[in-house]
This record gives sequence, C-alpha cells and structure tokens, in this order.
Amino acid sequence: MTVSAHQDQGAPLHELRNVMMRFGGVVAVDNLTMAIPKGSVHGLIGPNGAGKTTVINLITGMFFPTEGTIHFAGKRTDGKQPHEIAALGISRTYQNVRLFSGMSALEQVMTGCYLNRDSSLFQSFLGMPIARANWRRVREKAMHLLERVSMADRADELAETLSYGEQRRIEIARALGSDPQLLLLDEPAAGMNQSEAREIGKLVHELCDAGLTVLMVEHNMSMVTEFCQSCTVINFGRLLITGDAATCLADPEVQAAYFGRKKHA
Amino acid sequence: MQLFLEQLINGVSLGSLYALFGIGFGLVFATLGILNTAHGAYASWAAILGYYAVEWLQVPFPMAVVIGTVGGGLIAIIVDQVGFQPLRGRKGGMLGALITSIAFLIVLDSLAGTATGHQSWAFRPGHYPDGLIDFGPIRVPQMQVIIIAAMLIVGIGMHLLVQRTRIGAAMRAVGWNEEAASLGGVNARVVILITAFLAGATSGLAGVLGGAATANISYQLGEGLLLKGFAAVVVGGFNDVRGTIIAGVLLGVTEVFVSQYLSSTYRDGVTYVLLLGFLFLRPRGLFGSGSFIRA
Amino acid sequence: MEMLLDFWAAYSSTVVFAMVNSFIALSMYAVLSAGILSFTTIVFAAIGGFMAAQMIAGAGLPISVAIMGAGLAGLAASVLLAPLFLRLETHWMALASLALVLITRVVVLNAPALTGGVNGMLVPVRVGVMEMAIWLALVALVFYRLHHSWYGLATRAVREDPSVAATMGISTWRIQFIAFAISGAVGGIGGAGMAVTLQFISADTYFLGAAFTMIASTVLGGSFHWFGPIVGAFIFTALPTLMQSIVPSIQDVAKGVVLLVIMIYLPRGLVDPRARKLRKAARERQTLRDHHAPLEPSHDTILPGKTSKEAKA
Ligand SMILES: Nc1ncnc2c1ncn2[C@@H]1O[C@H](COP(=O)(O)OP(=O)(O)OP(=O)(O)O)[C@@H](O)[C@H]1O
Ligand SMILES: [Mg+2]
Repeated sequence: MTVSAHQDQGAPLHELRNVMMRFGGVVAVDNLTMAIPKGSVHGLIGPNGAGKTTVINLITGMFFPTEGTIHFAGKRTDGKQPHEIAALGISRTYQNVRLFSGMSALEQVMTGCYLNRDSSLFQSFLGMPIARANWRRVREKAMHLLERVSMADRADELAETLSYGEQRRIEIARALGSDPQLLLLDEPAAGMNQSEAREIGKLVHELCDAGLTVLMVEHNMSMVTEFCQSCTVINFGRLLITGDAATCLADPEVQAAYFGRKKHA
Repeated sequence: MQLFLEQLINGVSLGSLYALFGIGFGLVFATLGILNTAHGAYASWAAILGYYAVEWLQVPFPMAVVIGTVGGGLIAIIVDQVGFQPLRGRKGGMLGALITSIAFLIVLDSLAGTATGHQSWAFRPGHYPDGLIDFGPIRVPQMQVIIIAAMLIVGIGMHLLVQRTRIGAAMRAVGWNEEAASLGGVNARVVILITAFLAGATSGLAGVLGGAATANISYQLGEGLLLKGFAAVVVGGFNDVRGTIIAGVLLGVTEVFVSQYLSSTYRDGVTYVLLLGFLFLRPRGLFGSGSFIRA
Repeated sequence: MEMLLDFWAAYSSTVVFAMVNSFIALSMYAVLSAGILSFTTIVFAAIGGFMAAQMIAGAGLPISVAIMGAGLAGLAASVLLAPLFLRLETHWMALASLALVLITRVVVLNAPALTGGVNGMLVPVRVGVMEMAIWLALVALVFYRLHHSWYGLATRAVREDPSVAATMGISTWRIQFIAFAISGAVGGIGGAGMAVTLQFISADTYFLGAAFTMIASTVLGGSFHWFGPIVGAFIFTALPTLMQSIVPSIQDVAKGVVLLVIMIYLPRGLVDPRARKLRKAARERQTLRDHHAPLEPSHDTILPGKTSKEAKA
C-alpha cells in the first residue's frame, strides 16, 4: 500500500469547527471538530446512530448546523445551499442508495456531470452544434466513469434493475461526474461481500492517488485499516479520537464504544 | 340594527356551511395527502339522498339528515377504497389520487345530474324546519340556527378528536407515514377509513343542511360548497380545524355583508381577494405554524 | 379514399381541439415534469386567450401574430408568478394555484374592457388545421430538444429526488423557475388556441372544468415523457365523441370510469419510458435464460411492479 506516501500531506481540505447539530431534543452531533487532510482517504467511524451520516449531511448543506462553522478550501460553507456547496467541489454517495428511478445507468452518471455542462439552456433549445458537442463530450465522460467502476456494459440498463452492489458503483460514478475535490462515501461497501468491498477500496485508493480527497464512513474495520490513512472516531455525536487509523482503532475507549456495542447490535 | 343582526346571523350560518364542508376537505388533504376534487359531490349526493328520504319515504327531517350524513360518509369510503387505496404506497400518489378523484367527480356529478333530472329541487314547505325563531327584536330562520349549532358541535368535536385522542394522533401520523401509524399500535387502514368516513359525513351534513336552507338540491350544490369551502381551508390553514371554522365564518359574513351593503357583483371578488392576500402574505393560514414555506 | 374524406369532414374539428388541448397538457407537463403540481396553466391560458382575442378582434392582427403575443403574455405572467409560488411548499403550491384559478375567473368577470366581462368575447376568425399543426409541431420540437438536454436530465432528477439533485449542483429553484416559464409560454399559446377554435371565450372557458380535465389528460397520457400529454389530450378529446356513439346516455360516466381504470392500472400513464425499459430488461433476461439457462446467475433485483401486466404504451 502507498499509505506512507500520503502521510505528510497534512493541510486540511475540509474542517468542522465546534459543530453542533440538534434535532429537537436529540443532539446528533455534539461540539465536533474534525479536519480532513488534503489528498488522503479519511475514515469516519462510530457505532450505529453515532452521527456519521449527519456529519455528511452537514458537510453537503442538507442540514444547517445549530452551532459551529464549516470550512472547505478556505471558504465558509455553513449556511450555503446544497447546490452551491456541490458547485464548490464536494460530492457524495448515500448510505441507502439513492439513484433516480427511471433513468439508465448512463443517464444517472450524466446527471452527475451537470456541473460540467458548458452549453446554455438556450443553446440546447435551439439545437446548436455547441450544445450537441458538449452533450457528446459529457456522454463520453460518463461512459469513461462507468468503465472505471466496471459498469460500462450495463450503461443502458435502468438502475433499478441492477443489483445492490452494482447500484452502489453507479452511485460512485455519478458522484465523480462533477470532478469533485472532496468525495464523501457513506458506507460504500455495505451489503457487499469481501472481494467486492476490496474492489471498492482499491478504486477509492486509485482516485486518491489521482488527487481526490475522500471521507469514508465504514463499519468494516479491515477496510479502514487497509484503505484509510487517518480517521476520526465519534460516538453519540462526540469526538472520541482522531489521527492515524491504526492508533485510533487500537485505542481502548474506541474498542469499548465501538466493538462493545457492536456485538449487541 | 335589526337588519344588521339578521344579516350577521345569515352570514354566520352561510359561513358555517363553508366551515363544515371545509373541515373534511382539509382533514383529508392534511392527513391523507389527497386533494379531493370529488369532495363536493358527497354533499350533492347527501342532499339528494336526504331529499329522497323526506319526499319519497316520508321520514322526518332529522332522520333525513342522518341518512344524508351517513350516506356521504359511505360514498367517501367507497371512493377512497376504489380510487385512492390502490395508489397508496406508490410514489407520486398525490398526483394519482388527484386524477382518480377527478374521475369520481365526473362520475358522481353526472349521476347526480341524472338523479335530479338536471333540475334544482327543494324540500316542500313543512317537510323541514322552515319556521322563524324570535330572538328579541330579530327573527331568525330555524335552519340557520340548526346549521350554526351543527357546525359548532361538529367543529369542536373534530378539533378535540384530532388534537386530543389517540385516533387523532394516529390520523396525524398517517399523514406523514403509514408505517409510523401502524407502529403506534393503530391500524393504518382503519385510521384511513375513519378519516374518509368523517370527511364524507361532514361534507354530507353540510350538503343536506345547505340544500334545505338554500332550497337548492342539485348536482351543482357541491361545486358551490367546494369553491367556498376550499377558500376557507386555504385561509384557515389546511391542517387546522379551528382555522377552517373561523375562516369559513369570516368568508360567509363577508359575503353577506358585501352583497348587502356594497353590491352582489363584488361578492365573490371580495372572497377571493381575501384568499389571495392570505395566500401570499400568510401562506400558512390563520394559526399556521407548520413549515409550509420552503427552507 | 372517400371514406377517409368523410371521416375527416366529421372529425377534423375534433382533431383541431385535440391539438389545442395538447398545448394545455404540455404546459401542465412542463411543471409536472419538474415535480410541481400546479394549475396555473389555466391562468396562463386565460391571459393568452384574452390577449389573442384582443389582438384579433380589437387590433385586427393575424392569427399567428396573436398566438405569438399570447405566448409572450403567458411567459411574462409566469415569470412574475413563479418567484411567489416557488416560496411555497409543494402541497401549499397546489392549493395556491387552484385558488389562483378561482381568482382569475373573478378578475375576468370584473374587467369587461379587456375580457368582455360576463358576456365574454367573440373571436371572428377560425384557425386552420394546418396552422395549428405547425404550431404544435414547433412546440413539440422544443420539448423534444429539452428532453435530450441538461435541462431534461435536471428536471427528471429534481422530480425524482430534489435533495439528491441538489448535491449534484442542480438548483431546484432554477429548474422549477424555468419549468414555470415554459409552462407560461405554452399555456398562453394554448389559451390563444382555444380562442381561435372555440371562437367564443369567457370566464368559464378558463375555469375548473378545463383545469381538471386537462390535468387528468396529462397524467393519463403520461407525465414522464413529453409525448404523453399529447397522447392524453387526443384521447381525452376524442373520448366524449367516441362514447357518444357507443353509450350516449352515460357518456360522462363512461369517461370517468375509463379515466379511473387507466389510473389504477397504469398510474404512470399510457406513455411511460420506464415501463418500456423494464419490459425490455425482462425480455432480455428471459431470452438469456432460454439460451443458457444454467449459466445465468439470478441475483439481479428487479423492482416489484406490474411490468408484465402493463399494456403497451
Ligand atoms: N432528520 C433527522 N431528524 C431527527 N433526528 C435525526 C435526523 N437525522 C438523524 N437523526 C438522529 O441523529 C442521530 C444520528 O444519526 P445518523 O444517521 O447520523 O447516525 P449514523 O452514525 O449514520 O448511524 P448508522 O451507522 O446507523 O448509519 C440518530 O439518533 C438519529 O435518530
Ligand atoms: Mg449512517
């Protein structure tokens, strides 16, 4: 693995500072401070209901934090609308796959390329050559992304006819369509077998080598140790520990909170 | 002064019909998520059933009111189970249910037209409470008193039912999510049936009483109620029984006073100007607190 | 040949009405396809209709100019209205749009200088079949282009899952604003079409009856593809004529029942690209299974649905 090669690239691309998220009486994220180092795969782990998905929703602007600030590439993003945050270069996948019903795999990925359009509505309205050229270019790009996730041969199929693992891969390809700087993966290997999961891990690593920063929520500890350079562990929305993946997982408090509870789950 | 008071009561009674009708319409919209265009047809049919009961079967008027009310409720259940039930749980159910309700509107209205021979009927004098009651200096038609009383009883009852009882809580839960309601220990299907029945019955009650009071029993009775009841729901906030009642009465009184003191040509205009104002200035209704504005 | 001519003589007016209704249905589709249930189409149609009537009857302008004017008037109205409507939550937007239809009627009745008030307006000309067909073809071409464009993809995304669409950089507000604008322009054209085919328009022309039948035909035809509303408009326009000749005494009831049955068995409408693709996938899987039965793993999940039962679009 190339873990050591990444270790010095420490400048954070994304930061949460003292972020608080309340839903009525429930405190889902509690005074959390977290930094995602640029150019690395950062793990976000914690037991069920720890607030991991909520963190991703906060980063993408689906929720506004009750308190605290969020920074991406030097800009404040809290209070910005989700589509504005996406335009800054943040992209995500969903824990329970959320593909668009009725669209083919290729169309899903092309939709993900929305931010890469450079023809106006009026140009496509009039059927101008520039619009068609742009459309073709993005189609090719989407095909290329499907190849990356080994789904090119299923490009024309409706997403809902694909298997769960295949749908997850389409979702990753869709998220890559906007050429993001930061990719948020919410349990990308859930429901996959070991070899499929490793395929995903390898893909993530390749992307990272190509310069992408990844935040990965993952329950599978071997995936975390193998593919994440650093990680943050949360429980009840609070930070337990953050740092080097191996150190974090070895921490007794993490062991107690995480594995202790997971056995009952 | 005497005229003023009489017109005031006239307006309140007219508004009570709108409110009575609007309660059921709003209830179905808020809890079942259905914009039910056939809601007016329940009222037309209830009035027709009441008419048949009095004029053909010679039953007393109170009995006819019961028949119309229950009839309205039963028609609503049939419409719900045939037209809406198959669409539940499907994505885009709101749109589908709107269309099936339009289908029922077409069918029920056309059948009602046939049933009445495309005429407007009225209860014969003496077959319904058509006397006047003296309240000191003013004289008020018995029907108006009955309508106001019916609205108050039904309105307060419905408000308590929705806000205070377990069934009511389940109704509100079904509005969000059928599964949530069944988890709460109340069978979602039963709650839906109860809601549909109550909505149809209140519409039916408004239909029989309105048909008697305005001497207009026809397939068009429901449409008139639908337009004004709808306005009451929008002004009052669709998920709030209190709001609907107050808004309905307000609209009725406004309508009567505008045609009395201004001109009857402005009658509908004033109603809808009020409606427009509420739509954009206070788009959550009188007591609105829900998040009906986008985040 | 003679039979064909007879048929045409008898039904050409139905065809023209169907084409006019297609505009109204397409206008409703324009917003529905972006996830908005709104009856404002009828308001835009009223504005377009009276605009065209004034341009023709008052100013003596040719029909095509009047139709263009009506489209622009509808567009202007929708651009003004859209920001107000887009502040509202979806349920509330549906109610508000219906209220606006009621208000429009009152306004029309009380502005006799512009609309003829209670007397309505006579339109002294009648549009030709060809001219209407050309207008419809033009509008359909626009919808076809939009379907295969960024805007088309984005509307589908916004309709299916607005919050996911937002994380792809798609602004729901922007997409829905454009949807309203298109709906306004096409609705205005449709309203003008009604004026130059009915030759008499009044407050009742653009009221609830039209709103309900037109939304019904849009959804019946299929609101997931631009061709659906056109199919729906033709069917719903032809249906009364058809029923008249089969079951004259209960034609309205029959119309309602047809609508009900189709909506229950084909809730996504007659033209449904998704159902077509699902059927194709099922067929392919079948042939694959027939050829190499033992080889094909069957872990693919297919959504539970009535694919096989659904009629051909
Ligand atoms: N929209 C919401 N409204 C109310 N409470 C919420 C909402 N979203 C999350 N929560 C609450 O916040 C807490 C954290 O939830 P979250 O989904 O972030 O956990 P998680 O770490 O992703 O868990 P899992 O491993 O099960 O995915 C939970 O208690 C949940 O009930
Ligand atoms: Mg989660």
